[in-house]
Amino acid sequence: MSQNNSAMKVVGQSIPRIDAPIKATGKARYTGDMKLPGMLYGKMLFSSVPHASIVRIDVSKALALPGVKDVIVGKDTPGIKFGNWRLFPATQDELPLAIDKVRFIGDAVAAVAAISQDIADEAIGLIEVEYAPLPAVYTIEDSLAAGAPLIHDENKELTNNISLDRKIDVGDVDAAFATADYVREDTVFVHAVSHAYMEPCAVLVEPDTEGRLTIWTSTQTPYIVQCLLASTLAIPENHVRVVKPYIGGGFGGKMELRPWDFCASLLARRTGRPVRFVLTRVEEFEVGRRRHGMKIRSKVAFKKDGTLIAKDFEAYLDGGAYNSMGPTATFLCGNFGAMLYRYPNYRYRGHHVYTNKPPAGAMRGFGAPQALYLSETQMNIAAEELGIDPIELRLKNAMVTGDVIEGVTRISSAGFVESLHKVAEMTNWKEKRASLAPNKGIGIGCYSFISGGVFNWFNTQYNFASCEIRAYSDGTAHLLTMAADIGQGSDTVLRQIMAQDLGLDPEQIRLTAADVTMTPKADLGTWGSRVTLMNGNAVLDATQKMRAELAKMVSLRFNLNVIHEVAFADGRVFAKAQPAKGISFGEAVTMWVKANRGEELVVRGHYTPRDLGLTSPAYSFGAQVAEVEVDPETGVVTVEKVSTAHDCGTVINPLAVEGQLEGAIQMGLGYALCEQFVMRDGKTLNTTFLDYKVPAAEDMPAIASAAIETYEPQGPLGAKEAGEGLAIPTAPAVSDAVWHATGYRCKDLPITPEKILRATGKL
Amino acid sequence: MSLPKFTYCEPKTLEEAALKLAEYDGRARIVAGGTDLLLGMRRGIAKPEVVISLARIAGANAIVASATELRIGAMATLAEVAQHPLVQQHFPALACAAAVTGTVQIRNMGTVVGNICNASPSADTATPLLIYDAKMIVVAPGGERTVALAEFFRGPGKTALTQGELVKEIVLKLPSGTTRSNYQKLSPRSKVDIAIVGVSALLAFSETGAIRRARIAIGSVAPVPKRALEAENMLEGCQLTPEVIAAVAAVAAKEAAPITDMRASEDYRRSMVAVLTRRALQQNQREQQ
Ligand SMILES: Cc1cc2nc3c(=O)[nH]c(=O)nc-3n(C[C@H](O)[C@H](O)[C@H](O)COP(=O)(O)OP(=O)(O)OC[C@H]3O[C@@H](n4cnc5c(N)ncnc54)[C@H](O)[C@@H]3O)c2cc1C
Repeated sequence: MSQNNSAMKVVGQSIPRIDAPIKATGKARYTGDMKLPGMLYGKMLFSSVPHASIVRIDVSKALALPGVKDVIVGKDTPGIKFGNWRLFPATQDELPLAIDKVRFIGDAVAAVAAISQDIADEAIGLIEVEYAPLPAVYTIEDSLAAGAPLIHDENKELTNNISLDRKIDVGDVDAAFATADYVREDTVFVHAVSHAYMEPCAVLVEPDTEGRLTIWTSTQTPYIVQCLLASTLAIPENHVRVVKPYIGGGFGGKMELRPWDFCASLLARRTGRPVRFVLTRVEEFEVGRRRHGMKIRSKVAFKKDGTLIAKDFEAYLDGGAYNSMGPTATFLCGNFGAMLYRYPNYRYRGHHVYTNKPPAGAMRGFGAPQALYLSETQMNIAAEELGIDPIELRLKNAMVTGDVIEGVTRISSAGFVESLHKVAEMTNWKEKRASLAPNKGIGIGCYSFISGGVFNWFNTQYNFASCEIRAYSDGTAHLLTMAADIGQGSDTVLRQIMAQDLGLDPEQIRLTAADVTMTPKADLGTWGSRVTLMNGNAVLDATQKMRAELAKMVSLRFNLNVIHEVAFADGRVFAKAQPAKGISFGEAVTMWVKANRGEELVVRGHYTPRDLGLTSPAYSFGAQVAEVEVDPETGVVTVEKVSTAHDCGTVINPLAVEGQLEGAIQMGLGYALCEQFVMRDGKTLNTTFLDYKVPAAEDMPAIASAAIETYEPQGPLGAKEAGEGLAIPTAPAVSDAVWHATGYRCKDLPITPEKILRATGKL
Repeated sequence: MSLPKFTYCEPKTLEEAALKLAEYDGRARIVAGGTDLLLGMRRGIAKPEVVISLARIAGANAIVASATELRIGAMATLAEVAQHPLVQQHFPALACAAAVTGTVQIRNMGTVVGNICNASPSADTATPLLIYDAKMIVVAPGGERTVALAEFFRGPGKTALTQGELVKEIVLKLPSGTTRSNYQKLSPRSKVDIAIVGVSALLAFSETGAIRRARIAIGSVAPVPKRALEAENMLEGCQLTPEVIAAVAAVAAKEAAPITDMRASEDYRRSMVAVLTRRALQQNQREQQ
């Protein structure tokens, strides 16, 4: 792809986020802030039992409550199942409202629309549901035991509670193990955690007189919501306009159609009035998606000198009651198990297991935090047992640019080796690992992550990312994109990429984003760290076309010799070698419009990864070192410093990357040390931030970071992801540091003080 | 859940507040900072028809000292108490506890009296106030009475206050002679969290270095914050040696009656009572030397 060859002026700058002032001052309007005339307030009734047949639902008392306008239950719906894997309809196992069976505490059973929230809340309490309880299972082991209840007995193809298996076979694993000098096998249990996004889910639906709907919803994937809402309501896609307002984070928890989206829509169609649902934090914790708990086993084979020769990897995912994003997590977990190091022989078996708990979905890292917690922990154990420094052992096996996982993917850029060297230097690793004060520890964890997925299980007929650019005589331009900024900063970064390539000031660019009937089709949404790469490439596809059109104008105007390059910088379009031969961007646009007899200058850009293997167009890499102090009497872990060296390709906005890193460390610390669901008989007990503890600002360690810049040929201006990958290494790094301080190696996250004290014989 | 409907009033005097409280007889609640009450109301645990704020009562937030006493008014915030020079000088365990309760925002709104009246077993300022032999001045439409803090807590969320009674202030006797005191909080999940164990210890030393008076209070490990009386008794008249400290810490742990909950197990809590008691006594000793 040709690029504007004027020097980088906008890309690489720490431009503050466009939305920062309005969010910091509380002026940003989220869905829950919106109100429309005549709006009704919605409330969901969720199942209070983990597994049961629905015998009877009586909504008459709720309907009779003054102020209640409508109540819906499963039989009022078309009864069409949904799920993000449209390519495999059998995986679409969820109904927007349960009809005959509930499978977890939180399955949606009914919904109310009333003239006030208080009335809606009260009405929910008046709905009578009679359940006939069924036996329920809450663990992978119980779900797979002989005689376990079949959670999806309606799917005749399933003979047990495994909804889906995934295999990867590279080389000959068994033969390689036979030649190994050293073999290590470990099993870990990694737990479920909450996305704990700041904004609970919310949706507002406005119907028009012909039954079309406009939907503002807290989503990462407006296009997916549009498609699945249309299919579950049995109406044309084009009747559904999804508009993404400001979003208070998603982290993977908002990338599906959710029951309240459906219920608000159906209630709006039935009542002819706008309907809004806003979930409470308690509801979020009780029924919300979560990261997969997994039981993972890994067996690795080394040569004496530390060269890896094979890996045998198996994961059981605790999926909860529905597939949700579990199939993708099952798939990706196996891919991540094969990353970071060269495994000439690799075997993966992944199994997605139903249990009677809230479904696990996508969550920052999407299978990688689990897979790499084990990979990295095992690497550290192996280093110890082989008598090789953990960084040396990694360097011996590290993936480099050009590496291929046969039949899976090719690594088109990798700054992993450089990251390892850098983080060792930043932390004085060798010396500290050898000699630390008592109760202090230093540990390492590494990661690699995808920059978007190349797979199309959603089965869209459209491009993966698209945009439109309009240019005007006043020197401004308008970018229309379906890319969804949910707080990660894509609105800012896409403007930067566009401004760079057209030689404009980012402030001259108007942005319309994520309005599915107004912005070009399509975009699969914000997940898998795909937006910078995919939408960035779509923007560059459009800017390239725009530049070609405007270059013609300068060529004509100055009668340029064809050998001249045309450059775009500082709001001007000019002959690169003779800058005086040039005009302003706006003048060039005017000329183009006149030359085209009044037509508006509009171009479109698209991106779809093609023939790039099974996983991703590009991979980030990084290494992180954690330094901790463990109180030997209380078991309390204080993380003192976290140092990261990472390769996200070209850094488009250093400030944005820094923000991602800090947020990632915060989430990683929660995963490692303090976040977990407390559950009894399928019920989530810790449903407030008092009881479900996320690390606070005061818990944050000192942070040091270094960017290893590579140039990713598949990425826009060389860029890769910096969103999810960074959330992966903290748990293994902290875990290794805790081992270094105490001798306790955690194989059962989170690392709590009690586990440390029990392991060290103090409790 | 949204906040249920209620009537809000702002009396100008304590007497007026007490009258209102009596008038609504069990259907009214006092609000100070609201950092406990509003949460309870949102969750449907507290359902007052009338909420009586003390915010407009002149002087209610005062922290005043006489020659012998320090008085902490009902509206004195955790932040004000933590930063008060006399509190820091004479009641360091209280200053420390108030400074580590909740977050900055909570400390700017929440009060020490509210922390006590909420009667949570884990209330951070409870164990410090116990070791200082705090007295609660309680007013009712009829007049005033004084309740020792040790008699004030009656169970989780339960106090000695009866219908129509509210707390006017907390009175602390200024110490005579040298005393050493401190607060130890353990909240392993986060620096911003409820204590899973809190221990306060006060020692007054005689000229020979023997312990003249000892107070140890333990929080989060019983239905109410309480004094570890046996442990205290062991200390009186003793010289503080490592053996004495270890023995006292073990007895304090025995006096605890913790439960297992989402934050910690019973075992861990009990064992931490010993650790924190030892640390509190050691700190007293270091400061004395
Ligand atoms: C995010 C968060 C973190 C917190 N962290 C901590 C913590 O780390 N440690 C801790 O101990 N607490 C913590 N709390 C609880 C709370 O902030 C404290 O207990 C605080 O001191 C309560 O004071 P308040 O003035 O806000 O009380 P309010 O909510 O106003 O009142 C609390 C109770 O006392 C009663 N009351 C108040 N004043 C009087 C009076 N004068 N007479 C009679 N009754 C009265 C009220 O009716 C109510 O029942 C936390 C709370 C939150 C929301």
